[in-house]
Amino acid sequence: MHHDIYLAWRYLYHHRVRSLILVICLSLMGAMPLGVHEVMNQGKRAMLDRALQTPLIAGRVGSGVDLTLNALYFNNPNAPRTTMAEVDRIESTGWALALPIYSRYSAQGFPLIGVTLDYLEYRRLAVTQGEMMTTLGECVLGAEVAAALGLEPGATLMTTPGNLFDLAGMYPLKLHVTGVLGKQNSPDDGAIFVDLKTAWIIEGLGHGHEAAAKSVVKDPTKSGNTQMMDAGLVTYTEITPENLESFHFHGDPATYPISAVIAVPNDHRAEVLLRGRYLNYEKDAQLVAPLSICENLLDNIFRIRELFDGVLGLVGLSTLLALSLVFSLSLRMRRGEMRTLFLLGSSRFTMFRLVIAESLMLALSSLCLGGVLIWMARHWLSGVMLRWVLA
Amino acid sequence: MRKTVGYRMMGWLWLLLGVFGATRVLAEGAPPLNIVAANYPLAYFAERLGGQQVKVSFPVPAGEDPAYWQPDARTIAAMQKADLIALNGADFEKWISRVTLPQSKRIDTSAVFKPRYIVVKDAVTHSHGPEGMHSHAGTASTTWLDFRQAIQQAEALAQAIIRNRTGLKSVVETNLVGLIADLHALDGDMRQFATQLGGKPLLASHPVYQYLARGYGLNLESVHWEPEEMPPPEEWKTLRDKLKSRPARLMLWEAEPSPAIKRQLTALRIQPVVFQTCANRPPSGDFMDAMRGNVQSLIAAARPPSANKPLKKG
Repeated sequence: MHHDIYLAWRYLYHHRVRSLILVICLSLMGAMPLGVHEVMNQGKRAMLDRALQTPLIAGRVGSGVDLTLNALYFNNPNAPRTTMAEVDRIESTGWALALPIYSRYSAQGFPLIGVTLDYLEYRRLAVTQGEMMTTLGECVLGAEVAAALGLEPGATLMTTPGNLFDLAGMYPLKLHVTGVLGKQNSPDDGAIFVDLKTAWIIEGLGHGHEAAAKSVVKDPTKSGNTQMMDAGLVTYTEITPENLESFHFHGDPATYPISAVIAVPNDHRAEVLLRGRYLNYEKDAQLVAPLSICENLLDNIFRIRELFDGVLGLVGLSTLLALSLVFSLSLRMRRGEMRTLFLLGSSRFTMFRLVIAESLMLALSSLCLGGVLIWMARHWLSGVMLRWVLA
Repeated sequence: MRKTVGYRMMGWLWLLLGVFGATRVLAEGAPPLNIVAANYPLAYFAERLGGQQVKVSFPVPAGEDPAYWQPDARTIAAMQKADLIALNGADFEKWISRVTLPQSKRIDTSAVFKPRYIVVKDAVTHSHGPEGMHSHAGTASTTWLDFRQAIQQAEALAQAIIRNRTGLKSVVETNLVGLIADLHALDGDMRQFATQLGGKPLLASHPVYQYLARGYGLNLESVHWEPEEMPPPEEWKTLRDKLKSRPARLMLWEAEPSPAIKRQLTALRIQPVVFQTCANRPPSGDFMDAMRGNVQSLIAAARPPSANKPLKKG
């Protein structure tokens, strides 16, 4: 047996290019369907995990998919908005904990999420570097954001203006980074979190007066009490300990906007009651179960897998036939070599063993390469699938 | 015989280990509920309701008005770690909109009577104490001075404690009965005072008695005077003019006015009566002592000099 393996190895090594092509063909044939399945399963698992951790989501009546994707993955900032009245509505029932989310804005290319501290606690997002935010104008960074921007506690970053063409709109807000959250391998890693009230300041619902007041000067070209801003007026808003007390809000807090409310019912009975209430009485709002929304969405998306499987099956079959042809032709070409071995005293069984050893070595090598390819797909492509689904 | 002694010793050892373990589990399993209160009345209610089972923090420094206090980052961080943050509501915590605190841990104790908040208009901006310039515009916030409202606040706090720690239900409910009884007694005494006064006009040195006045039907009007600051002559003149149409004989003060102010008031036949709001911890005694003192001072001041009817005990 030892000699068979040695002779098989020498033969394959001698024809190394042909052997390598055979190994690549065989490994791809096996790894392709398995790899695609693995990547799809990983994407599905990642989506469903997040949905599983989120019992119910309330929001403005409309597309349940948009609402769910916005609340879970912060990927649709322009989704229809609801108001804080929705939070009051859920809290007043006493059946569930209400976690409002406002995901309209961004900062340096990352979603800026307005939340209450309850959200961070519910998602088990703890500060691993620095401190938790304590006042308006402060933020904590998801682990991926901190790594990508190279920011640490004590740094600052500017919010992105909502609309570049809105010349009379709000100035960007300069945020103070107080901490970095631990990595959770979830969409929270790629987000910047601020207090809901800070998000409303960006919205223009709350503001301070000190910065503008300092820059007011009398217009020398006009008589009377005409005043104008001088050139020293800063073109961004910054909340500091000095001007913090001047910040205040206007209007009824119940009308302030939010993107969605995550509702965490106290128990199964509370969940049923809450869903019943929304089904029967709330005509301007909807309450969705993210798990069923995500499952339906993934079922629809992953129907493509059946097509993939069919195509890959056909490709695999044709590759297998081609390989069989290559193998039989190669045996025919080796007829002289076999005859020499026979004349040297080898039995037919010995030659059979040689061919089997060569085949096994090819199969084993293909298996190893296929395994490496699947491992690479699992590690590097699982995020790609999630991004593709959410894009 | 030896075997029996050995078994007994083993038994005692297990028993000791069991007792030690159970004590540790009990001690570690139920740490006191950590409550942060935004004003002293709520801190007092929490202490009365939870007893030894709660750890109450009241972070406002002595001598500072909690209604105009601003917590620093360290205090906010401590509040974030608390199990329950007891708020007065009615715009008492002006800092609440500027800080980051968990919504689920906050309990607005006056939310139940929110529709009945008193809105103050045309307030004067003035300054006294470490909190600097301020005005009393907005919502009147000394809600607990109407003792029926104080009962509602205590009930809201009790419910929040029970929601947070169901194991404290029986303790809190028992203590709530005692607290309500004390507040009812104060309410009864205030009603006695209101009856005794019979709608006669009253004055107050500061606009902080709105709920007291409404709750007990007092004909009360406020000025903006401080106990240690002699009001300017024009304010005395305004007061004299006012007395012509409102012949008030009693004036409520948050603290003892200076002897000079007292002399001038006496000259106008106005008796100053100290009625502490107790928004911050009183220098001596507790909330109930201070309130009983307040009510008894009022009853004594309203009694005709000839009367010698004994005071009703609170």
